[in-house]
Amino acid sequence: MTSAIQTDNLVKKFRRVDALQGLTLNVPPGAVYALVGPNGAGKTTAIKILMNIFRATSGRAEMLGMDSFLIKGRQFESIGYVSENQELPEWMPAGLFLSYLRSFYPAWDRSLENELVKQFDLPLDRKLRHLSRGMRMKAALAGSLAYHPKLIMLDEPFTGLDPLVRDELIQGLLDRAEESTIFVSSHDLGEIESFASHVGYLEEGKLRFSEELASLVERFREVEVTFAVPPPLPQQVPENWMQLSTAAAVIRFTDCRFDAERTSADIRRVLGEAKNVSFAPMSLRSIFLAMAKSGRGTA
Amino acid sequence: MNQVWNIFRKDFRHHWREIAASLALMVGFSWVQIREWTQQYRMAYGAASAAYEILSGLVVPLVPIAWMFLIVRAVQGESLVGDRQFWVSRPYDWKKLLAAKALFVLVFVTVPLFITDFFLVAMAGFRPWTYIVGLLWLQLIWVLLLLLPTAALATVTASIGQILLALLFIVLYAIGMAALSDAIPNSSFAAGNAGLYFLLIVATVLAVILLQYSRRKTAQSRWLIAALAAAITLIMVATPYRALIMHKYPLAGSGSLPLQLAPMPSHAPAPDDAMYAGNQVPIVLPFSLSGLPKDSFAELDGVILTLTNSQGGSWDSGWEQRGTELFPDQKTFSIDLNLRRDEFDRMKSSPVNARLLLAFTLYQDRQQRPFTVPRGEFAMPGLGLCSAGTRPWNSIGSLNCRVPLRSPNFLLISSEVAKGTCPLPKDAPPINPDEIARGYVRNSDPGPAEVGISPVKIVTVYLSDSPNSRISPGICPGTPLILSHPEETGHTRIELQLDNVSLADYQRSLRPAKSE
Repeated sequence: MTSAIQTDNLVKKFRRVDALQGLTLNVPPGAVYALVGPNGAGKTTAIKILMNIFRATSGRAEMLGMDSFLIKGRQFESIGYVSENQELPEWMPAGLFLSYLRSFYPAWDRSLENELVKQFDLPLDRKLRHLSRGMRMKAALAGSLAYHPKLIMLDEPFTGLDPLVRDELIQGLLDRAEESTIFVSSHDLGEIESFASHVGYLEEGKLRFSEELASLVERFREVEVTFAVPPPLPQQVPENWMQLSTAAAVIRFTDCRFDAERTSADIRRVLGEAKNVSFAPMSLRSIFLAMAKSGRGTA
Repeated sequence: MNQVWNIFRKDFRHHWREIAASLALMVGFSWVQIREWTQQYRMAYGAASAAYEILSGLVVPLVPIAWMFLIVRAVQGESLVGDRQFWVSRPYDWKKLLAAKALFVLVFVTVPLFITDFFLVAMAGFRPWTYIVGLLWLQLIWVLLLLLPTAALATVTASIGQILLALLFIVLYAIGMAALSDAIPNSSFAAGNAGLYFLLIVATVLAVILLQYSRRKTAQSRWLIAALAAAITLIMVATPYRALIMHKYPLAGSGSLPLQLAPMPSHAPAPDDAMYAGNQVPIVLPFSLSGLPKDSFAELDGVILTLTNSQGGSWDSGWEQRGTELFPDQKTFSIDLNLRRDEFDRMKSSPVNARLLLAFTLYQDRQQRPFTVPRGEFAMPGLGLCSAGTRPWNSIGSLNCRVPLRSPNFLLISSEVAKGTCPLPKDAPPINPDEIARGYVRNSDPGPAEVGISPVKIVTVYLSDSPNSRISPGICPGTPLILSHPEETGHTRIELQLDNVSLADYQRSLRPAKSE
């Protein structure tokens, strides 16, 4: 198995809405893959097609080497799935919820279950409907980790959670990251940055890019060029310069294909000799904001 | 099996209150039933009695409602509608999920119903093992008529609110179909599509359940239900009722008429006596009757009247259903029909030609057995456990019976009025020595059990010498009866032509006709 998840030209139409427009994706085994994008980008649709909850209009999707369309019943024994809007059996106490799920998974690990209950501080005797949102997510996650799934699918798991709970959930995931591939959709970029190994950016149903997080962060820089006198704005700038702005004698832009030598050469060629040039690394959040604002996804 | 058991246990744990309520209602229903059998001849007054009447009236509809609620809750526990349910991403096997739900219905609805029925048959004084086929049949009927359709609706809805909305649609559809049936000529008489409708409903319900559990295709399933409704409507509208009736009741040749009918004279009522029923005008066509062989009788199943007048006007009643028995000792009978007032006024202005088609079913009544009504409770052959009219408020006795699972197809009870043993009112007219009163128990349900919550049917038989009907003699201890199970021998259609008659002569009078 070369990919934990693979999609090929996946299309999903809801009547007149094109939720996915040819999504081609590859998630290597062992990766923590974050699919990010604004609300309505198609992240949940993609996950639901992968989980065989939705049927794709066209294209192909595979998880763990299985055609997603055929994933059902026992195939879910090796897949964990937690979604922010999942309807849990709220009448069940958390303990009953876990013990009920236990019977469905031959690989259920009681000691891991106990460990997760302890780690998440789950009140086993309280009904799910009486738990806070964060606690419900923890219960759902515990119920999706205790059988050592090979693949963990998380759909917006951190939405609306307080930072402490988010940290606990992330820690819970990271503790299991070595044995599983994790696929998480989110628009909460701060959390993603702390644990994702790969990232894909989905916008209007199209995957703008998909790559390792380290290389993404490496190729984006905030560039600030200072001149002795205010320079005229150039007529043409390189394609990889985004959000070009000027203030007095300073020009700022985001370079989405940063290479120190090439970027310096481009500055000299396009803007002329500068008094000072600085390159600042960018957070994931800044990168996506820059991309969203520039509307230039294909970075 | 482990998964089936786990889902079943979870459902039991979740719905134990509903289960308890359903079982309590079944116990309550049994108690009400037994009390009705044992107390049926006693009068009770007062608030306690009124409260009991209300509660006992409520418990009967509440039992199936409780079953429906239980099934809906169990099915919607793992809702098949939507994409957010936790279980759709868990290793559920749909066949095991379906099996778990079926086990739940079996354990908490069907088996308790079977036990209740078994118990009630025993408490009614019958040996339940003798009726085991009927008892099992009754379970099957409930499964097909109520439990499966309820489950199918639950599979395409996500909440109690949605299923109530679906039920509202079904009620509105049924009302619409009833109105449509009334509007379609001949359809009320030729009710031959019931079996086809039943098969279509069962097939659709099974298809919806399987489709939902195997693939969760809610939109397709809902379309399937809508297609069923459309198909039933289409069949109802497109069925050639008149042709089917003509085919079922072939025209009798003049040489092979099973009975002789001759129109009797009739006179227009005085203007003040003419009867109107809203915008309808009731008309009565009297006939003399003869020629029915002894040990046979005929049942008038339906009638159609066509009127034409010399001015080119015409009117057709369409086939109307009747259920009038005509016996060899009977000399006359009449046919009642209604015309709209404007049609009547239009047609009565000149002489009309009336063409009357009468559809009969013919019966043989050979194996007659004498039976004298004993005192107290007794076993009535071919019926059940009965007691003769001892209602203190009713001087005319009736036969009150408990019948296990189903009434007989046709039990005819005859009695010579002159040999009656019931006390007669002081102002009773003199009894004709040849006068025979009859009562019957009929059942068109072909199965070994009739549809109903209770497996024990309460049957009350009255004797009547209608249409002579000067008196209704009762059935009291000592009354000699003749019992028989008439056998159907065929169907036939008789055509009568009445030319140049005045329609006004046949208008029903407010005053009762004088005895001829």
